[in-house]
Amino acid sequence: MADETFLTDDFLRQLVNVGEVDILIGLPTHNNAKTIGSIVQTIQGGILRWFPRERAVIINADGGSRDGTPELITGVSIDDVRRDANLHALRTLHSISTRYGNSPIETVALRTILAAAELLQAKACVVMSPECSIESDSISKLLRPIRGDGFDFVTPIYRRHKFEGLLITNLIYPMTRALYGLRIREPYTRDFGFSGNFASDFLAQQSWDGGSNESGIELRLTLAAIAGHRRICQTFLGDREHIEHRGADLVPALRQTVGTLFSAMDADFKLWSATNGSQSVTTEGPDHEVLMEPLRINRKRLREMFASGVAELAGVFQQILSPPTLAELQRIASLNEAEFHYPADLWVRTVYEFAASYRKSVISRDHIIQSLAPLFRGRALTFLVENRNAAAEEIESNIESLCIEFERQKPFLVQMWKARE
Amino acid sequence: MPLNQDVLWYKDAIIYQVHVRTFNDSNGDGIGDFVGLEQKLPYLQELGINAIWLMPFFPSPLRDDGYDIADYHSVHSSYGTLEDFRKLLDSAHERGIRVIIEMVLNHTSDQHPWFQESRSSRDNPRRDWYVWSDTDNRYKGTRIIFLDTEKSNWAWDPVSRSYYWHRFFSHQPDLNYDNPAVREQMWEVMRFWLEMGVDAFRLDAVPYLVEREGTNCENLPETHAVLKELRRRLDEQFPGRMLLAEANQWPADLRPYFGDGDEFHMAFHFPLMPRMFMGVKLEDRKPIIEILQQTPEIPPTCQWSLFLRNHDELTLEMVTDMERDYMYDSYAGDKTMRLNLGIRRRLAPLLENDRRRIELMNGMLMSLPGTPIIYYGDEIGMGDNINLGDRNGVRTPMQWSGGWNGGFSTAEPDRLYAPLIQNPVYGYPAVNVVAQVGSEHSLLHWMRRIIDVRKSNVVFGRGSIEFLHPPNHRILAYVRRLGNEVVLVVNNLSGAAQAVELDLRGYKGHIPIEMSGKNIFPRVGDLPYLLTLGPYQFFWFRLRRI
Repeated sequence: MADETFLTDDFLRQLVNVGEVDILIGLPTHNNAKTIGSIVQTIQGGILRWFPRERAVIINADGGSRDGTPELITGVSIDDVRRDANLHALRTLHSISTRYGNSPIETVALRTILAAAELLQAKACVVMSPECSIESDSISKLLRPIRGDGFDFVTPIYRRHKFEGLLITNLIYPMTRALYGLRIREPYTRDFGFSGNFASDFLAQQSWDGGSNESGIELRLTLAAIAGHRRICQTFLGDREHIEHRGADLVPALRQTVGTLFSAMDADFKLWSATNGSQSVTTEGPDHEVLMEPLRINRKRLREMFASGVAELAGVFQQILSPPTLAELQRIASLNEAEFHYPADLWVRTVYEFAASYRKSVISRDHIIQSLAPLFRGRALTFLVENRNAAAEEIESNIESLCIEFERQKPFLVQMWKARE
Repeated sequence: MPLNQDVLWYKDAIIYQVHVRTFNDSNGDGIGDFVGLEQKLPYLQELGINAIWLMPFFPSPLRDDGYDIADYHSVHSSYGTLEDFRKLLDSAHERGIRVIIEMVLNHTSDQHPWFQESRSSRDNPRRDWYVWSDTDNRYKGTRIIFLDTEKSNWAWDPVSRSYYWHRFFSHQPDLNYDNPAVREQMWEVMRFWLEMGVDAFRLDAVPYLVEREGTNCENLPETHAVLKELRRRLDEQFPGRMLLAEANQWPADLRPYFGDGDEFHMAFHFPLMPRMFMGVKLEDRKPIIEILQQTPEIPPTCQWSLFLRNHDELTLEMVTDMERDYMYDSYAGDKTMRLNLGIRRRLAPLLENDRRRIELMNGMLMSLPGTPIIYYGDEIGMGDNINLGDRNGVRTPMQWSGGWNGGFSTAEPDRLYAPLIQNPVYGYPAVNVVAQVGSEHSLLHWMRRIIDVRKSNVVFGRGSIEFLHPPNHRILAYVRRLGNEVVLVVNNLSGAAQAVELDLRGYKGHIPIEMSGKNIFPRVGDLPYLLTLGPYQFFWFRLRRI
């Protein structure tokens, strides 16, 4: 059961009025007034069109918006949706909102949504990012595998620019795949679907004690689904504008993703150490699609950030990396822009050594994560250069090669892990 | 008990719909009759109803359960004599029960002498009493009502070698209301029965009286003109009598049938009924409130007629395609339960014999604005027999006892006009009047009580309605009001217990008195009024300012 002190009385009163539901749509928000109105309308339209008989609720967990976001969510009239789309609603469709604090905390937002899902006995849930518009059938694509096909967790596949989501393509996807044996393209995502049953289990099993400051809850959910042997599938959602992590945002992004992944490895060691190779996941629609518009790359700046990072953090790296790996990185750092190349095998070895050091906490874990940033920039530069003129399938082939490299070197990771026990 | 002399008596009425044939057989021929019905008037009086609506009892080939009339001035011999009917009428009046009879204006049986004359020759004086045509291409914009059996609204008559118009079965030719002689004749028919003492007519299929090219031939101004003329004559010659319209239409299309209080006194609210079932299935008040909010105001002397079930299928003509699909899936999973655009089932089987849901539905029937109609047998939870064709499955003999033929008839069972319900759940040994009379907690006793409470306060029949909108959508709450009399109705449409907070600030200081048990509840204050309701539970509170 949800912690009885966790939800506000007002929110609980709203939940009482909603009662048991079949479908729950969660919207974690913070100052999303520009986009949220159209997103809610699209969600409502999707429910009316695809799930007209289901009992549904939209739950907004707001982190202290000052732009009227919650009011926009609860104020969207279903009549507007019906008029526009010529739809008919059999049922009342609820939109309720709760403010959990004065700043956005993903963990608290998701916990609120999960608690609501449990209290309302929701059978299928979706969490949508409030930051950018969605396609009209996204709701259906995320819910239908759960309502219709008995899946427990649905992750999205987006049509991305070929250089979008480099942290996902160069680290999170291939490493998650190598560790857990499932080819989930977007293990860290803001749009996903899950069964009520899985939500309840996750809510009960997860330690929420330090939760409000923990990040990467979405990735923890994915890993919990894998570790719990839940039925997982992917669904193609098409375009989704993404707010790219600017340079200054890389460290928080690394904390949310890499930090979460490294943390989970401890608990899941028995599982991932016994997993060999990888298997595809049931996927609705294409399993990748890329946009090929040219992109200007500041190679010089990326190389400089890598080189200066390697130099400045040499003392840190000596505690994290093996001497050969560090030596190789230092060699690369000395290369000029035209010769710069951070090969896949070295990148994989770097990451694995970071993971092992993270486990051992050779230094502060957060420092370990932070120190990965310049190295990731170096790897990103190589990926960008390698694929600058590549066709879509060639890029996909290069990503696949990287994944295989992660899988190939996995015994090395296991060995390091055991050696440091 | 004398009849209530109020000319608006129909507003306070509780009507019991019964077919003479189905109710009680006095002479052992296997068919119910007037004498048998008269014998059961004490039962109906005790039930608390104060009007009976008799389905067609005229001479008829009975190819449409009597809606195919072959003689408007007599009664079907199976049911007795005209004198038997007179006696029934008098006995009912003595017990304070008014009698409403069917009048099928739109069409006759093809066996009616009028039609036989009309078809006999194109020169016959009655030729123009029906709608004839040399082609079947006229009135193309008109829908076919009985989709399962009819392919066209025109039928070929080999006798007069031309087509005749029929909106229902092809053996039911439509009368031609453009002919003044027809209009005059049908008023004469009505006057015949009014002079005998009949209190009201349920006028069948009224939207279809007149046809015009280029229209859908429904609800035409010319049809309203015919009906207004009938009403004018009724008021002039028989004040205090009543006309009830059967027009399966949307509320906005029904509204003209009330005119300015100069057409029908009452009309069935067809679209509400399926939405009550839908609301309970969805556990959501939305469909009920939506349709009632779309229902226009009617003149103060007029009244809606509400029902849960009747002798026809649960009609789904007045719902959207999506709603119809939902209703079919929810209430007629077995496709043999479906007929035309509806579901041919009784109340109890529709509600899976769930006593709580049956009570809730009846509670709403009795408390929403309008005059309730109870279909015979539903007061004891009778079942149906979907193996009988057409709508006959909901027209089986009344189950009076667990004895021979369920107490309906002394005839040999195979002589009954229709077999009794025999299954273990709804069969007459399990569901019958005698057993329920003997059980204080039976559905029959509950129905008697709810009817009694309903009759105890005129606000139900005559009051206004104001919906409350508590955030809990599973709760349907409304206030009925007439002068200082205020009744709060709270219905839980859900199969689970619910908490609800009602905004009753407008009634601050009032003391709610639960009308069934007469218990008082905490006084209404400034805070939201909190109630908890069990599954499908409902409350009627009289709000008293003391």
